[in-house]
Amino acid sequence: MADQATKKMGDWGLGAGELERILSEAAKHKGESLWQDAWRRLKANRTAWCSLCFLALFTSVAFLAPLLPLPSPVSLDLQIEPQPPVAPWSQFGRGGFSPEYWELSGLDQAMVRGRVAIFDDWQTAAWLGTDAKGRDILSRIVWGSRTSMLVALAAALCSLAIGVTYGALAGYLGGAVDNLMMRIVDVLYSIPFIFVVIFLITIVNEYRTELEDHYGINREVIFYLVIGAIYWLTMARVVRGQVLSLRHAEFIDAARQLGASTARIVFVHLVPNVLSIVIVYLTLTIPAVMLFEAFLSFLGLGIEPPKVSWGLLAVDGSEMVNPVRIYWWLVVFPAAAMGATLLALNLVGDGLRDALDPKLRGQS
Amino acid sequence: MESGKKRHKSLLGPDLQRSIPGATLPSVSSFRPSASPRQLLALACLGLLGAGLLSLARRAGLAPADLTYNNGTEVSTLDPATVSGVPEGRIIRALFEGLCIKHPRTLAALPGMAESWEISNDRRTYTFKIRAGALWSNGDPVTADDFEYSWRRMLHPATAAEYAYQLWYIEGSRQYTMLADEFLYTRSHRRGLWFEELGEGRLRVGLTGYAAEAAEREAELELRGLTRCEKDQAFCSLGTAEFSLPFDLEDVRWQPSPPQDAGHLAEYAYGDAWLMEGQASEATLAALRAAGEIIPGDVFRREVVEPELLGLRATSEQLFEVKLLAATPYFLDIVAFYPVFPVNRRNIEEAQARWPGSWEMMWLHPENIVTNGPYRIEFRRINDRIRLRKNETYWDADSVALETIDALAVDHLGTSLNLYLTGELDWIDRPTTQVIPRLMPREDFNPAAYLGVYFYRFNTARPPFDDARVRRALSLAVDREALTQKITKAGEKPAFGFCPPGMGAYPMVEFPHAQDMAANLREARQLLAKAGFGPEGKEFPTFEVLYNTDQTHKDIAEVLANDWKRHLGIKVKLLNQEWKVYLDSQKNMDYEVSRSAWIGDYADPNTFLDMFVSGGENNRTGWGNPRYDELIRLAASEPDKAHRLEHFVAAETVLLEELPIMPLYYYVTRNLVNPRLGGFFENVQDEHFPKFWYWLSDEELAEKRAAQPADWLQVPAGGPSLGLHPPSWNGTGAP
Repeated sequence: MADQATKKMGDWGLGAGELERILSEAAKHKGESLWQDAWRRLKANRTAWCSLCFLALFTSVAFLAPLLPLPSPVSLDLQIEPQPPVAPWSQFGRGGFSPEYWELSGLDQAMVRGRVAIFDDWQTAAWLGTDAKGRDILSRIVWGSRTSMLVALAAALCSLAIGVTYGALAGYLGGAVDNLMMRIVDVLYSIPFIFVVIFLITIVNEYRTELEDHYGINREVIFYLVIGAIYWLTMARVVRGQVLSLRHAEFIDAARQLGASTARIVFVHLVPNVLSIVIVYLTLTIPAVMLFEAFLSFLGLGIEPPKVSWGLLAVDGSEMVNPVRIYWWLVVFPAAAMGATLLALNLVGDGLRDALDPKLRGQS
Repeated sequence: MESGKKRHKSLLGPDLQRSIPGATLPSVSSFRPSASPRQLLALACLGLLGAGLLSLARRAGLAPADLTYNNGTEVSTLDPATVSGVPEGRIIRALFEGLCIKHPRTLAALPGMAESWEISNDRRTYTFKIRAGALWSNGDPVTADDFEYSWRRMLHPATAAEYAYQLWYIEGSRQYTMLADEFLYTRSHRRGLWFEELGEGRLRVGLTGYAAEAAEREAELELRGLTRCEKDQAFCSLGTAEFSLPFDLEDVRWQPSPPQDAGHLAEYAYGDAWLMEGQASEATLAALRAAGEIIPGDVFRREVVEPELLGLRATSEQLFEVKLLAATPYFLDIVAFYPVFPVNRRNIEEAQARWPGSWEMMWLHPENIVTNGPYRIEFRRINDRIRLRKNETYWDADSVALETIDALAVDHLGTSLNLYLTGELDWIDRPTTQVIPRLMPREDFNPAAYLGVYFYRFNTARPPFDDARVRRALSLAVDREALTQKITKAGEKPAFGFCPPGMGAYPMVEFPHAQDMAANLREARQLLAKAGFGPEGKEFPTFEVLYNTDQTHKDIAEVLANDWKRHLGIKVKLLNQEWKVYLDSQKNMDYEVSRSAWIGDYADPNTFLDMFVSGGENNRTGWGNPRYDELIRLAASEPDKAHRLEHFVAAETVLLEELPIMPLYYYVTRNLVNPRLGGFFENVQDEHFPKFWYWLSDEELAEKRAAQPADWLQVPAGGPSLGLHPPSWNGTGAP
């Protein structure tokens, strides 16, 4: 190989020394995959990096919630009015923790046991105040973030997996197949969503015991299914539009000429090129899903009290807005937590879009 | 010069056009036609904007009414016969007036359209004398015939009045509503039977409600049951009453379990259950039919029931006679209840002739409707307001103070409260729950006992709720005190019984419980252990609490779930359903434990207790107790007031021993009312009467404030500082 190369170089009129130099220089350069490049560029984007760290922190807090010395999110201590926040420096902690939760998974139960072993009955004071039933807002925000994040994640994954595949295939295959696939989407679009939801509520309520006993499907799973069933539609349309504009691009023609399979072209060549728009749309979807969760919980599908989610907190908080007295901590803190998370998600999405855009590759 | 100029122009024009034809001509021709649609569009937009502004200005220019209150929602109808909601009731009470009206404080019946009435000695016949000089808004005098027509209309199945059962105390009325038009009836044996033709002379025969009424009366509830007679015409007898067939039946097949007592008889008579089936000769049937002996339901209703069996009769222009099935002590309360208010016969019949397809809507339009109440409807803006204006032809117009009243349809509680606090509204009936602690000290917020009870139903058809011990245990483990103080907050009274206070001489009945929660909890745990649950027994199954979507219902359900989990170790799931779905679940008994409430229709224990008779439509718990049913029936036919209440007390005691329901608290009213408003009283049914309202002057307001407790927080009172009194003002607020 080297000999051949040397010979070729020689043919092109390069000296042997020069070749050495070029080769050694090339050896210094490391090949970089799309993801490595994206990661490097993401790290260089300070805003996005900070947001990502914030999200990571928030996620770990949510995951470790049972281990933290927070009051129980459901234990009632009835009050006539919600109690205002107590600054951590005036009262940091107190006793009287009671391990009351809804039905937790095995891992969570283990973490709760760990918490009791470490902190005993010590718990933080009501730094963010309590609601009208004496439940700690901080604890409810943290426990609520678990639900909301799970919902957002489920919707995002559904939207990604179904929507991107469906849209990219439709756009790439084109013709009658595209027509058929997109008409199906249109039909699904035209079904009034609220009716679907009410219909599902009725069905699920009718068979809730059977579903739970025989299939282990509870209302929360149904809730994820509903979201999955709805939120991939727009994604499919967006992706398909983008793919339509790319399917005759040179690099696709080139891939086809080289004999790449349809699946390879779609997933290796097309999808990375639409990723930027997918991510932007995803960052718009997640807040919508979180709000939607609130709406559905209020309708009775989704999260049931005493379980808590940000949506329910928002609903509870908005109930407390009245002209006589505003219990601001019931509105401000849940809204701030939700707002901060959504902002971070948006900034990360922004950074990811820049980082993943193949057209910007190699720059910065 | 002029000609030269012209010339110059004309020379230049064609020149230019010739030189660049493609540029100038099309640009001119394309500019003109495209300009006019564009201008039109702009004009149209401007016009729309102008119209919008104009309508806004008109709305803003609407002179404020003398009093504005929030009615809570858009009313579904103004037809007294078909209404059922509280907001509709408020408007109906202003627009129409019944034979009686209610005293605004005590709710005792006062003369309305009837200036007086006589009650027969057996208290079963009421003769109302219609007020001379009472007029409809179209100038017609109000007559006894209007009432006969209106009540018959209300009872008629075609009207589909939800409250028709309120008039079922009248002779023949229940069967009038339930009469099946597709069945056949006999003209001469009118108190007897119905037939259903199955084809080829085969007939199915059942008893009508008139048979049940006759049997109940004549046998005075001492029924010997149904005796079957053979073959001859008298085919059965019930007590002393006999029912006969006008033809022979062959090949008779009997209902396997015929009714044995009055309760079952009513079930048979008013339902569609048949008694026997047999073969009649077709020729006989045809002959009887030709002779008008066998007649279809609508003819029977018109020619037999209305003139002879229904206990409603306008004996003259002025006299309206009502015959009741039994002495009903609260009948005057029903007469003063808004669904039985009269409508103008001419008004409806003209509307039916004029708008055959849509008269039900059309006659209610403000320009068409004819009313007889203290107010008439001036205009109605959907989802905005109904404006009421004083009816000058009203017989007692001299006692009506306010010229105009606006009833707004604001359904958001926060907005409504906001409007009240900024002085835009003078009365709201539902401030949001969370502000109540802040409202309590105010002089304009005075919750008072309200004839309603908040309770939970148990589905007694499903284990473990079929066990009275379980129901009692769950009921004992609830801290009602905490519930009323910390959740509902407006001074509601914890309920350990079902009938709320405020029903005259009826005493409070409570299920046994200790004052101290710890003792109650001990008993609850013992009861559960006896029922086989708890540490030594099996684990109590997780169950579901059903409630309809509402913040307070959710809060209460959460607190109960928490109490049961904490004190009894019982796991509870909450299930929240939209109102209509929830009602369906409850009616179909598709629940385990369900949140419920009941507001009394009249101030008598019957409205609460007759719900839970076996198979009652509002029972919805699957619970039944023969002793209870008997007591309710005894009370219904007991003429002596004291005895009657004793029966009710005994019945409620049975109910509370078995606890198919778990009472939680008794309601209070939650009115926020401008302190200047006079003639407005808190009463046990939370009914308010615009007829009696007036504005206090500053001096009167000061007097009123001097009389109220000193620690009440005074709030600004809008309204005219000189007050606004009715023409017949005598210086006191008493009606």
